[in-house]
Amino acid sequence: MKQLAYYPGCSLHGTAPELDSSFRASAAALDVELAEIPGWECCGNTAAHSADRLLAAALPVNELTKVKTDMRLDAVAVPCAACFSRFMAGAHEMQDEGMRADVERVVGRAYPGGVTVRNLVDVYYDEVGLDELTTRVTRPFVGLKVAAYYGCLLTRPPEVTLADDPEYPTHMEAIVKALGAVPVEWSYKTDCCGASLALCEQDVVIELVRKILTNAKACGAEAVVCACPLCQVNLDTRQAGIKTKDAAWQEIPILYLSQMVGRAIGVPEGKLGLKKHMVDVVGVMA
Amino acid sequence: MAAIDTALAARVSAEAGTNAYKCYQCKKCSTGCPVAGFAELHPAQIIRLVQLGDLDSVLDGDFIWLCTGCETCTTRCPQGIDIAAVMDEMRIIARQTKRVKKDAPFANILDLNLKSMKRWGRLYEVELLMLDKLTRPSSLMDDVGMGIKMFAKGKINPLPTVGDRTQMKRMLAEIEKIKGERS
Repeated sequence: MKQLAYYPGCSLHGTAPELDSSFRASAAALDVELAEIPGWECCGNTAAHSADRLLAAALPVNELTKVKTDMRLDAVAVPCAACFSRFMAGAHEMQDEGMRADVERVVGRAYPGGVTVRNLVDVYYDEVGLDELTTRVTRPFVGLKVAAYYGCLLTRPPEVTLADDPEYPTHMEAIVKALGAVPVEWSYKTDCCGASLALCEQDVVIELVRKILTNAKACGAEAVVCACPLCQVNLDTRQAGIKTKDAAWQEIPILYLSQMVGRAIGVPEGKLGLKKHMVDVVGVMA
Repeated sequence: MAAIDTALAARVSAEAGTNAYKCYQCKKCSTGCPVAGFAELHPAQIIRLVQLGDLDSVLDGDFIWLCTGCETCTTRCPQGIDIAAVMDEMRIIARQTKRVKKDAPFANILDLNLKSMKRWGRLYEVELLMLDKLTRPSSLMDDVGMGIKMFAKGKINPLPTVGDRTQMKRMLAEIEKIKGERS
């Protein structure tokens, strides 16, 4: 049994309950025990780094310190890509001695370092591993064509995220392949969906989403799978906006990677939250 | 003619932890930028304005409030400039000097986001949405239908979940103290 600290972040307690439940259930089924960080606080995205660099670093470092010093764990699962990005950025900022001294003063104790930050893809790819995952599949997808969407913050910038191929990542493709699905090659997998502007620049966001999903469909995808609650909500809900501009728009389901893993390894459907989507996913997940 | 602040690039570089002088206008950042086509200026132009010391043109334009922070520019810059950090710094300067562009809705969201975090230790999505509608009347009817649908599907949590607010307050107070000592 592996034990990871767990930082759900605000979205998983709000707009993405199906990510929280499908992630928890699939992790448990794969013998990964998740221990939620007690009293976790905001990671600072998106506001803190646009307001104060010290605050932006201190917020995630405060959480990393709790993981190592209080929980005595060496790794933390952070399924929200925006939170993951802040955790990695915080750890990266600690390489600067002046910043580190300031952050330690703000947090109120020494930064111990030595915590591996795992995003949703990493948990399945690195912590569980493809071989183990493959042996756990009891209900494979049969030839479902999916476009794996990474968006911005899982891979960029690579100096911070430590992603090995930031322009054309393929770990998610390897995972869905292990589940029996067929990943498509496509051009928009790391293009930004504009989620940070979702509440305030709707025309921009609808156009960004339209471009991404148009390419996914053109490349043969029957569904898009993603690993970020902000991307999922944006790609899912904004299709209604695309429809108001283009009545002929054919909707495409937007899945969480954890839902696909969960379904393939036999997690009970009640934990997958398939009814929580705006665009129906029940058909492709049947 | 805009006022020229020749120390701008040095100041921005120091604060953002990168070197804005190194840009030679290859425009890879602008080519990859998802919002360049929607804004008055594009990222390479912002960096040039910073080099030239023309803060007014940066703050009067809409680019810094359309930037999604997607880090494509930073990732692709052949000169290794952290362009996204420069954009962060321009937003920080806009806030500090109280020169946030009036019709920039993103600035309002960021402000409410910070307040929510300070109040609850976490982001309270519903409160942020409601306050945005009250403080930015043009948003009043946006997404009302979608909000109702999401609520019906249990994707909107009406109650805040609360983090360690004592530690949050302590950290914010210490940051103010550090700033005070250095100003």
